[in-house]
Amino acid sequence: MGGTFLPLATFVTAAGGRDGWMTVLPGLVVAIPYGLMILSLLSKYPQKNLLQISERLFGKWVGKIIGVIYMIISGYYGGLMLAVIGQIFEQSIIALTPRWVFYLGGLMLVFYLAENGIEVFARFSEVVFPLIVIAMVLNIGLSIQRIEPGELMPILSEGLKPLIFGVLKVIPFPMEYILFLAGIIKFLPSGKQALVHLKVEVWRTVFLVGILDMLVVLIQILVFGPQETVRLSFGLLVLGKMVEISRTIAGVESLFMMVWLGALVIKSCAFFFMTTWALETVLNLKGLKWRVAVSVIFLGIAFGFLRGTSLTKEASIVESYLILPFAFVWIPTLWGAARWKCETNVR
Amino acid sequence: MKIKGSQKRNLGLILSLIICLLSLSGCWGKTEVEELAPLIGVGLDLGKKPGTYLITQQLARPKQGGTTAAEVEDRTFSIEASSAREAYEEVYKISNRIPFMGSLKVIVIGEDAAKAGFNDILDFNQRYSEFRRSMFLVLVKGEAQSFLNLKLRNGQLPAMSIKNHMEQGENLSTFPTVRLGHYLTVLGTKSTAPIIPVVNSIKSGKGGIEYKDGKNGEEIQIQGAGVLSGDRLVDFLTDKETKGYMWLENNVVHRLINTVGIGESGVNFGGQVLKSTTKYKVKDNDGTIELQYQVKASIAVDEVMGLKKQLSEAEWIDLMKVAEESFAKEIEEECLLSLKKQRELGIDFLGIGRHIEQRNSAYWKTVKEQWQEKIVDFPISLDVQVTIHHAGMSSGSAMTN
Amino acid sequence: MPSWLKMIKELTIRPKVQQIRKPPEYSFDEDMNKTLSGQTVKEILSKSSDVVFREFFLQGKERIPCMLTAVDGLVDKNQLDFFVLKTLMVDLAGHPEMAQLTIANVVDKTLQSILPGLEFRKVSKMGEAINAILSGDAVIFFGESKEALVFGARGWANSGINEPVAESVIKGPHEGFTETLRINTSMLRRKIKHPSLRLISLKVGDLTNTDLVVAYMDKIASPDIVSEVLRRVSRIKMDGVLGNGYIEEMIEDFPYSPFPQIAYTERPDVLAGKLLEGKVGIILDGTPIVLVVPAILTQFLNVNEDYYQRAMTAILFRFVRYVGAMVAVLAPSVYIAVTTFHQEIIPTDLLMSISAGRQGVPFPALLEALIMTVVLEILQEAGLRLPKPIGQTIGIVGALIMGDAAVKASLVSPLMVIVIGITAVASYAIPYYDLSLAVRLTRFPLMILAGVLGFFGVSVGLYAGLIHLLSLRSFGVPYTSPFAPLRIRALLQDTLVRAPWWAMKRRPQLLDVDEPKSGGKGKG
Repeated sequence: MGGTFLPLATFVTAAGGRDGWMTVLPGLVVAIPYGLMILSLLSKYPQKNLLQISERLFGKWVGKIIGVIYMIISGYYGGLMLAVIGQIFEQSIIALTPRWVFYLGGLMLVFYLAENGIEVFARFSEVVFPLIVIAMVLNIGLSIQRIEPGELMPILSEGLKPLIFGVLKVIPFPMEYILFLAGIIKFLPSGKQALVHLKVEVWRTVFLVGILDMLVVLIQILVFGPQETVRLSFGLLVLGKMVEISRTIAGVESLFMMVWLGALVIKSCAFFFMTTWALETVLNLKGLKWRVAVSVIFLGIAFGFLRGTSLTKEASIVESYLILPFAFVWIPTLWGAARWKCETNVR
Repeated sequence: MKIKGSQKRNLGLILSLIICLLSLSGCWGKTEVEELAPLIGVGLDLGKKPGTYLITQQLARPKQGGTTAAEVEDRTFSIEASSAREAYEEVYKISNRIPFMGSLKVIVIGEDAAKAGFNDILDFNQRYSEFRRSMFLVLVKGEAQSFLNLKLRNGQLPAMSIKNHMEQGENLSTFPTVRLGHYLTVLGTKSTAPIIPVVNSIKSGKGGIEYKDGKNGEEIQIQGAGVLSGDRLVDFLTDKETKGYMWLENNVVHRLINTVGIGESGVNFGGQVLKSTTKYKVKDNDGTIELQYQVKASIAVDEVMGLKKQLSEAEWIDLMKVAEESFAKEIEEECLLSLKKQRELGIDFLGIGRHIEQRNSAYWKTVKEQWQEKIVDFPISLDVQVTIHHAGMSSGSAMTN
Repeated sequence: MPSWLKMIKELTIRPKVQQIRKPPEYSFDEDMNKTLSGQTVKEILSKSSDVVFREFFLQGKERIPCMLTAVDGLVDKNQLDFFVLKTLMVDLAGHPEMAQLTIANVVDKTLQSILPGLEFRKVSKMGEAINAILSGDAVIFFGESKEALVFGARGWANSGINEPVAESVIKGPHEGFTETLRINTSMLRRKIKHPSLRLISLKVGDLTNTDLVVAYMDKIASPDIVSEVLRRVSRIKMDGVLGNGYIEEMIEDFPYSPFPQIAYTERPDVLAGKLLEGKVGIILDGTPIVLVVPAILTQFLNVNEDYYQRAMTAILFRFVRYVGAMVAVLAPSVYIAVTTFHQEIIPTDLLMSISAGRQGVPFPALLEALIMTVVLEILQEAGLRLPKPIGQTIGIVGALIMGDAAVKASLVSPLMVIVIGITAVASYAIPYYDLSLAVRLTRFPLMILAGVLGFFGVSVGLYAGLIHLLSLRSFGVPYTSPFAPLRIRALLQDTLVRAPWWAMKRRPQLLDVDEPKSGGKGKG
């Protein structure tokens, strides 16, 4: 859930208007049942990722097809995330540096992180996550003096309908997380104690991220008003620009950008892992050679988006029309199949 | 050895990264500080040719050999151009330095440009990433160019001086401090009309203000405001009307206030507002919706004038009650002036529409479409309450005879 | 093949490593298949002028030729005179016990009933005997007997126990380790009087035969770590081990990392404290520096003074040290990034004065900073090895005169001098020299990145560094713990904060220590 907070406000406010901020938490909470489903699959089939499980349950070919879809989605979206790194830097603080430098720098980090394995990746997120939280809280806290009074009111003037659309806009974001979870469970412990711990962890992540993202949207609506929030492409970056510390230090967005880079690297790297896992499960390809191949693909996809304006749109299309339906259908079906099989075995 | 291998690879990665970066000779977008000309203020006027603007850019240039920030050379250019980028191109050509937008503090809008609308030329300032939405907007009666070319007595650049004035605005609360972000947000509400403070220069001897060395430079002040409809200037508010706006908008933090010309008792008071809040209530009086402003202010009395005799304790308390009333009346008068102006103009610069939307959104939806007509005679009531916190270090007055 | 080609080939193509390192002529580990007689030893050692051979006779049942061999300067001559020579030759001459001695029983008899003294033992191998002589013991050979007697009478000149210069404290014990292994272990033993303190002796270095002791607390230190340390140390194969650096490089996990992965100390109190936390100490003879493993990053920013000061002040100074480390790493690169890419972050007034200061400076900020940093490094290196008074002069010349002149001549801007100065001072706030070297090293790539890519470069560099740190392990312990993996208790107990002693009820979670709940208060 690394980079959701950047474009989130624009989406939900466009859909939900002034009350868009309310949609964030319900949208993210959808992740919880899915997370629990995956964990219950984990307890049944330890040390296997969801692709392997679906191969076992649905037969080889269906499993392979799912794996290929999974691979395409994660590879494509991961490349898009890499492109986002380039876009936000070029758009907001270093305007004249060519794109490929950002792509290369970001990819270098992603690749280096991936080379060091999932454990280092987990620790990296563990270190960077508090930084992100601190940066967000600072960003929000320092923006309080720019709040326009009354921009949040009236609450629910348009009724509940826009909120439902807003929630639909949010759901793809937790689905990314769910898809990552589907891959990573291979490496998770499956003991009883560990399962309980993981469940708590899923709840905690969803709510922590949900509350933070909600605050991020809220502060943007409060400061910019709904119209401006929709208009700004990355409102949080603009917010970072407006921050002033006691009238002397202004424009600390470049400091915030350093942290956002970490978030995007985490996200991109998660998709990198997902792609390599899928490659490994479906086509049985692994090793340095294929990881290099994946990074080349990432780079290729990123270079495909030299037009920054179409990038956000492309990302949101992938989210809404690929990630969302795929995860939405695949995981419950798999879970149901596993349940059904389990029960028939008992009889 | 697996670990060794990956270590070597890591090392190779890091080395290749460093070599890669070292070999990149072109340092894109890199500018040394001394190559920059910090842009402090921008002035917008209408150009002579139709469709062009006269864009005045106030650049600061640190004096060679000067070490303190105060020693800056004024380099101000006015360029007639149809787009902001065109103007910057010209400046770049002349000054051989890169105009640095990150330090822009103030945009001064000339009267003509304001009347003709200026959002097109302002778009650059909210889109280009170096600018910040926290810069100030001010109007000037007359031309922005001549204002920015003023020579001030303290040697500051006019733009810098405006910025300093604006930052002190909270302590005076006589004019709204409008930042670009606020302006854009207000535009976004659609129903509310933006308002921008007016800056003007004062010559010695005019308006009861005199100062020495009038020839060496002038002084500036911010007083009054301009009301816009969209991005077009409609009318200017007087000082008192602006003050009323400040009360009604809940923008008063500290104010210096006196009751001269109000009190019937012949005793006048001066004081400082310590705290003030304005609340809005939408009342439903048998179908007619009414907006009520409730202004609550705490004032410390600093001056008591026209007191003829020494007062006893009880009388002093009574006098303070009188003071409360007089202050309330003064505030009310300012507010009423502002409301009156609003009705005259028929423009909702007080944000009444938003207040109604916030408190009674169902009703708002019914009047939203014909708000322009409704605003002219929308029922509004005013309730001002003043509390005197204290009356300074003494009670009574000095013995006169 | 022409001769010159051959010559070049000889010069350029190096022989393989094995060929250089010939096995030593006398291997002390093997049995030397020679009879253990004084004469053989004399043959082997007679070319060393510092070895003395004192030959005499014992009159028992037979006349036994004896030879006392020792290295002059390593043994305590008084002890030899009084306890060996005087006893055997004067005091007990004609004693009934003496009368029973034969070549066959002389060693056992002497050991059991004739010679007093705590440190007597018998050896039966030539290698051991020679080793004992060279290590400073005295060996008595008895004619053609199969065994010899070793008398531990080591007594050489020591440097006394002084306070270590590099690790001085204001409030706390003022003793430091010496170059002698036994004194060091005795100092450690005086701190921890408990049977679970284990000192395991090993020898490293094929030729130097240096003594080495692995110290740990049984039941506190993780057996995995202890056995790993023993395994790695015993695997060391080199001719000579002359300092702790040899051991350090041979046993560390990631030799390519600039970061120190093994801590060291010169203070017995620090070593004792670390052992009580479950760490393992490696004490090497000949150096006052004791290695402590496993090491974690934050430990290099803690000093023992923290544990002697009051908790509140200790927390403040720890915080200062963390900030200092950050400044030392980041200050120049942030300055470069800000002045060349992100000027918007600078308040306008400051921007003007930086700009004014840089008027006429011919170099771009990156080059300016690099030059200044290199000059700083040269100054540090120059001052380091000079005698103290000259070192100070270097400091004054470098910092004051050259700095001031450079600014006046518009070679560097005044603000750059300030930034580099702050960086230098901040890097002195890092208590461990090893870490401050690593910090100095990482500064350069960061500066280049900042100069080329601004904050993007800095953050790429920082994240790459972070990933590198996260991938490090020291003897199985993640280098960045307790930050990642996150151990809140350890973080609040002895990392960011030094909890008061009464609050440290359990041992820190840094390592997998056995018995994590110790009954009493405090870490031990």
